[in-house]
Amino acid sequence: MTDSNQLVAKVRGLVSNQASILLGVLAVLTIVFTALEPKFFSIATANNILTDWGSVVLIAVGQTFVVISGGIDLSVGAIIGLSGVVSAYFMANILGKTSATPADQAYGPLLLGALVSVAVGAFVGLINAVLINKARIVPFIATLATMGAALGLSVIFSSGMPISGPNDFNLIGALDYNWNPFSVAVIIVALVVAVTGLFLHKSRFGLYTYAIGSNAFAARAAGINVERHITKIYVLSGALSGLAGIYVYMRLGSGSPSSGTGRELDAIAAVVIGGASLMGGIGRMWGTVLGTLILFTVQSGLIMIGVAPDWKKVVVAILIAAAVAAQTLQNKNGRR
Amino acid sequence: MKRSVRAFAGLGALAAVALLATGCSSSANTAATTDKKLNIAFVMGAESDPFFQAMKVGAEEEAKAQGVNLIWQGDPKNYSPETQIPIVDTVLAGKPDGLVLIPTDPTALQASADKAIAQGIAVANVDTHVNDLSKIVTFITGDNKDGGAKAADALAAKIGYKDGSKYQVVVGLTSATATTNVARLEGFKAQVAAKYPGIEIKDVAYSESNPEKAATNVNNWLTKYPNLNGIFAIDGTNASGAASALEAKKLTGKVALVGYDAYPDNVAKVKSGIFTALIAQVPAEEARQAIKALVEYIKTGKTSIAHEVVIPNFTIDANTTDADLAKYTYVAN
Amino acid sequence: MAGEVIYEVKNVSKRYGSVVALDGASLKLHAGEVIGLVGDNGAGKSTLVKVLSGAHKPDGGQIFLDGAERSWDSPRDALEAGIETLYQDSGLAPHLTVSQNVFLGRERVKKGILGWFGFLAKKDMEHEAHRNLEEVGIAVPASNRSVSQLSGGQRQAVAIGRSVAWARKVIILDEPTNHLGARQAGEVLQIIKAAKKKGLGVIFISHTLPHVLEVTDRIVVLRLGRIVKDAPTSEFDGDTLVGTITGTIQTIKVEGD
Repeated sequence: MTDSNQLVAKVRGLVSNQASILLGVLAVLTIVFTALEPKFFSIATANNILTDWGSVVLIAVGQTFVVISGGIDLSVGAIIGLSGVVSAYFMANILGKTSATPADQAYGPLLLGALVSVAVGAFVGLINAVLINKARIVPFIATLATMGAALGLSVIFSSGMPISGPNDFNLIGALDYNWNPFSVAVIIVALVVAVTGLFLHKSRFGLYTYAIGSNAFAARAAGINVERHITKIYVLSGALSGLAGIYVYMRLGSGSPSSGTGRELDAIAAVVIGGASLMGGIGRMWGTVLGTLILFTVQSGLIMIGVAPDWKKVVVAILIAAAVAAQTLQNKNGRR
Repeated sequence: MKRSVRAFAGLGALAAVALLATGCSSSANTAATTDKKLNIAFVMGAESDPFFQAMKVGAEEEAKAQGVNLIWQGDPKNYSPETQIPIVDTVLAGKPDGLVLIPTDPTALQASADKAIAQGIAVANVDTHVNDLSKIVTFITGDNKDGGAKAADALAAKIGYKDGSKYQVVVGLTSATATTNVARLEGFKAQVAAKYPGIEIKDVAYSESNPEKAATNVNNWLTKYPNLNGIFAIDGTNASGAASALEAKKLTGKVALVGYDAYPDNVAKVKSGIFTALIAQVPAEEARQAIKALVEYIKTGKTSIAHEVVIPNFTIDANTTDADLAKYTYVAN
Repeated sequence: MAGEVIYEVKNVSKRYGSVVALDGASLKLHAGEVIGLVGDNGAGKSTLVKVLSGAHKPDGGQIFLDGAERSWDSPRDALEAGIETLYQDSGLAPHLTVSQNVFLGRERVKKGILGWFGFLAKKDMEHEAHRNLEEVGIAVPASNRSVSQLSGGQRQAVAIGRSVAWARKVIILDEPTNHLGARQAGEVLQIIKAAKKKGLGVIFISHTLPHVLEVTDRIVVLRLGRIVKDAPTSEFDGDTLVGTITGTIQTIKVEGD
C-alpha cells in the first residue's frame, strides 16, 4: 500500500518536474519526425543536432545566469562574430598560421585562438557590466548597444569577409558516424556546461545569482555586493560567448562577422523553453540544456521532413508560449 | 485621395521652385562653386556584406580618380527599406550633388529617389533599381539570372551530367525575399529545366545571413539525401557554410559545390578543390561606372554610359588564370 | 532592568538638498531594551533608520557602538559590527529556500577544495537554520522549502527570526507588523520579546501604536526631523502618543539624559 503511494508520489513529482516535461517533448518530437522521415532517427541526425547545440548552448548557459539574475544579454550573438573574427585574425596574421596549416599543427594555434576569443568575449561582457552598474543603463539597452558596437567592430575588423585560419575539421565531425554522434568539440562544450551547472546550483556564485534576481534589495541588505556580482555574471556570459565564437570558428574554418547573427534570440528562446523566468529568480541548467536541444531538434526535423524553414519560427513560438504558460500554471499551483 | 496627391505634387513643385530660386542665387558667384569638389553620396544595402565592401573599394578608387568627395552610407547589418529610407533622407539633407542608390526595395525607395531628383540631385542605381527608371541617370547591375545559369552549367559539368540519368541537388539561400537570391535561383532553375532535365532540385533552405545556419542546412540535407550530387550555395554566406559542412563530414570533392561571390577565403578553396566553382560578381566595377556616369552627368548634363548596363558574372574554377583571379576576387581595404 | 548603553547616536543630522530630514537627533539604546520609534510620514524615521543601519552617512553627529565611536560606509559595515536591520516588506528573496535566506550573505561552504570554489554545505545550513529559527520561537515546516510557498506571516517570522538569530548587539525592525493579521502580528511581537530576553537592543519602528505600546520599554517620537519626546512607555497611553506625534500635545525637547 505505502509502496504504491510512494510510486504515485514519485510519478506526480516527475510530471511536475520541468526536466521530465522537456524530455517528454523531446521524445514526442523525435517520434513525430521519425514517423515522417525515417532517416531522422540516426546517428547522423544526432550529430547534426549536437553540432548545432554546441555553439548555442554555450551562450544559452551564460544567458541562464543573466536571466536568473533578472537581466538580459543581447550582445551574445554579436560576440560570437567579433570573437571569431578577432581570434581568426590573431591566428592567421599574428601567429601566421593560415588555412593551409596541416591539421595536426593546428592545435596550438587553436588553443591560443580560444584564449583570445574568450578574452574578447569577457571584455565585451565587462563593458556591459560597466554600462549597467556605472552608467545605470538597463541591461536590455546596454547590451543592445554593445551588440551593435561588437557587430560594427567585427565588420570593420574583417571588411565583412570571413577570415580563415588553421583548423582541424576532425574536432567538429562526429567521432564515429556509425555509432558515436559526439565530436571532440561537443564533448568539451558538454564538460563546460556541466561545470557551470554545478556552479549555478551548488555554489555561492549561483546562490547570489538567484538571490539578486529574486530580490536585489534583500541581497544587498544581506551584505551581498550586488554590483560586483552582476559584473561577474556579464563577464561570464561574455566569456562563454567568446568560447562559442571559437567553436563556430572551428565549425566554419573561418571567423565571420555574421556567424552569430540572430543567435541571441535562439539563446533567449532556449532559456525560456527551459523554464527560466525573464523576471528573474527562476531557471535551471537542465532546462537550458534541454531547451537548446529541443530548439535544434525542431530545426533539424523541419529541414529533414522538408517543411518550409519559416515554420521553424512558428514552432519555436508555440514552444515558448507553452513554456511560459506552464510556468504561470506552476506558479498558480504554488510550485517552483 | 486624388486631392492629396495633387496637393503633394503641388508641394513638390513649390519645393522645386524654391530650389531653383536658391540655385539661381548661388549661380551669382559661379567662380567659387566650380572650384568646389563635387559630393557624391553612395547609399548601399548592408555594410557587413562583403559584396558591398568590395563595391566600396571600387567607389573609393573612382571617387579619387574623378576628384570628388564620396559619402558612403548604409545600415551596418540590415538589408531593409525600414533602415535604408531614413539614411537616404539624412544624406539628402546634406544636399549632395549626386546620389548612387542601391534600393533595398524597388517600391519603398521610389519616393526617396523622386525626392532627390526633385532637389536637382542626379541619381544612379546600382545592383537593384527603383520601379521608375525614367529619371535615373543610369542603372548598372550584375546579371544574377545569368549567374544562376552559369552555376547550373558548372554543377552539371562536375557531376558528369548525362541525359537519362537522375541527379539530386539542393540550393542554399539567405532568405525567400532577397532579390539577388531570387534572380539567381530563377536563372538556375531555368537553365536546369532547359539543359539538364535529369537534375532534380530537391529542396531549398534559408541561412538568414548566418554561415553557421547555412552549415546546419547542408548537414541535414546530407543526412536526408545520402546520394546528393550537388549543392548550389547562392551567396557568400551559404558558400562558407556549405564548404565547412562538407569538410567536417569529409565529403569535399564528393559532392559538387558551386558557390557565389569571390571572397578571398572561398577563392582559395576553389584551388584546393572544396568548391567546384564560384560565380563572381563585379561590384567594384559597378560602383566605378555609376560614379563615372554621375560625375559626367553633373558636369555636362549627359553621360556616355548607357541607361542600363548589365555586367555579366564570371565563373571562377580550377582553370581560371591568375590574372582573372586577381581581377575578380573581392578586395577590401 | 536594561543593561549598558550599547548603541548611541549624538546630534546626527542629514539633509537632502535643501530639505532637512534629520536635525540634531540623539538616541541611546541599552542592551535588553526595546525602543519604539514613531512619527508621522516625513518625520525622519526612515532617515534615522538608514543612519543607524549604515545605509546613509549622516552629515553631522556621532555614532557610538559599545562606547566606541564608529562610522559606517555601508550596511555591510554595520552588519559585521553586529547590527541587523530588517527593512519593511523586502527582507527575503522569495525564490530561495528558508535556509538559503537565513544564511544569505553568511553561507557555509564545504571543506577543502570545493569550499575554496564556493561550493555550499547545504545540509549543514538547513539543519542549523531550522535550529536557529526554533530557538527564537519560530516553527517553520521545512527549511528547504522556498519562501514563496510560505504565508505572509511565516515569511515575516522567518525574516525577523533570521535577524534575531544573527544579531549580536542591535536589531532594527522597520514596520515588521505591516500587512499582518492580528495573530501573525502577535507572533512577531513574541519574537521581539525573545530578542529582548537574549539581551539585544531592539529598535522597533511602527505605525501601529498599540503594538508599540505593547512591546516597547521606551518611546522616541520624531517630528519634522527632530526628536520631540523620549520617555518610558509607561508615560504614554494611546491618546497622548497620538497627540505627541501630531503635535497637538506640547513637548519639551529632551536633551540626552
